[in-house]
Amino acid sequence: MNKFFEIIEKVLMPPMTKMAEQRHLRAIRDGIVSTMALIIVGSFFLVIAFPPIPALAEMVKPYLGQILFPFRLTMGLMALYASYGIGNSLAKSYKLDGVSGGILSLAAFLLTMVPQVMEGVGWVLPMGNLGGSGMFVAIIMSIFAVEVMRFLQTRKIMFKMPEGVPDSVARSFEALIPAAVIITTIWIVRHLLGFNIQDFIMGVFKPLVAASNSLGGALIPILLITLLWASGIHGVSVVGAVARPIWLTLLDENINAAANGAEVLPNIVVEPFFQWFVWIGGSGATIALVLWMIFSKSQYLRKLGRAGLIPGICNINEPIVFGVPIMLNPILAIPFIVGPLITGTISYIAMSLNLVARPSILAPWTLPAPIGAYLATGGDWRAIILVLFNIALMMFIYFPFFKMYEKKLLNEEKQQEELAAAE
Amino acid sequence: MKKILIVCSGGMSSAIVVKALEKEAAKENMEVKVKAVGTGQYEDELRNGWDLVLVAPQVRHRMQVFETTAKELNVPITLISPQGYSPMGGAKLMKQVKEML
Repeated sequence: MNKFFEIIEKVLMPPMTKMAEQRHLRAIRDGIVSTMALIIVGSFFLVIAFPPIPALAEMVKPYLGQILFPFRLTMGLMALYASYGIGNSLAKSYKLDGVSGGILSLAAFLLTMVPQVMEGVGWVLPMGNLGGSGMFVAIIMSIFAVEVMRFLQTRKIMFKMPEGVPDSVARSFEALIPAAVIITTIWIVRHLLGFNIQDFIMGVFKPLVAASNSLGGALIPILLITLLWASGIHGVSVVGAVARPIWLTLLDENINAAANGAEVLPNIVVEPFFQWFVWIGGSGATIALVLWMIFSKSQYLRKLGRAGLIPGICNINEPIVFGVPIMLNPILAIPFIVGPLITGTISYIAMSLNLVARPSILAPWTLPAPIGAYLATGGDWRAIILVLFNIALMMFIYFPFFKMYEKKLLNEEKQQEELAAAE
Repeated sequence: MKKILIVCSGGMSSAIVVKALEKEAAKENMEVKVKAVGTGQYEDELRNGWDLVLVAPQVRHRMQVFETTAKELNVPITLISPQGYSPMGGAKLMKQVKEML
């Protein structure tokens, strides 16, 4: 078993953490995370528009259009907001001006669009690809914009302002040449040559997105995340850095289908799937272990379990992972790694058979899992049953390993007592 | 008074450790101000003047990035041991803090 942890530490961890720490991926993660508040609040208007209680649903039906506007202008423009965030983070990582990087990225993304004329309204921008479906376009265009900026700046191709010019003024001039290069390049490619940048980028990532929405696409991230956590590394933060754009693209398809009143949503493997049905109480579904711990005969486990219960309900499990510990613990790492693969498979099957609704709403991750699952599925009570079932199953899986570890601790505690008594 | 900044992934789990450390400091009559931040806010927050940075074990793969900023600002920085990063690990963490300050 020690060999096993050694392999994780030496073979799996270096390339994965290196990838997560890669400059562009880090900027993508930070940029997307900066839009989360808008996405969470915005997607809740979907719950208001389609409340789970039929009588209420009838009542709000005439106002559906108005209720959905905040949703359409936040979640529906997710890629737009993210492009600013990504550009800002990436520019900052190069020690360039963050605001300029954000604005240039925004422009680079918008220039891939073709404005339309609508009678009586004037010029309009089609919103279809400004949401999650355009996420990869936003990512690529933001990277392009900031890299152009950096290229010009490192080669000193820019307007030099004389001393004494206020910083803010100098900054707006510094962005002038990058802006000219970025706008002209995209204009030539997209609007003069007629090359559809959006379709091209989306086409490149399409197979990856489609492959992610499968049982394998659910189980691979689950396994990687628990393996990383078992060696004490924040698995979701590492794996999410790479997978989140894909999960958001899939979520966007679901949320659009839900906004159009669809009964069955297209995708299963979205972030709320992992959050509420697999990571109950934190990665490794440790709430199940905590429920055993609070009644443990071992004083240490009992105390820690009680201290970790409230954080666990809010899906924070560092006290358990590092306190018990689960990290590098050959006994408890087994259920911690194997259990989520089983609950993940069960949840996937339940959703593919439409026994439980597929998630469409992004609820704050610190909510207790049954509530989060209920909200995430647009108010499906069967989601609560599935969460409770998964907790019970995880308790069953943890039990023999918990007992084994408890026995070990009890022995140690007894020895310590005897030592103390002898002194 | 000593100002201690703890950095973890989202600034959530370290909030628990903040409490454990504050309790331990109170026991020893040591005046501290402890704050938890996520990796995203770390750089900006560190510029506000801190005496010590503690890095949560689960983000140790980003230690290099954190160290670069800390060195630039001349703030001592250390990794919290896994045992110190738990509600029961306050004493262990306190020992680490004392070694650093």
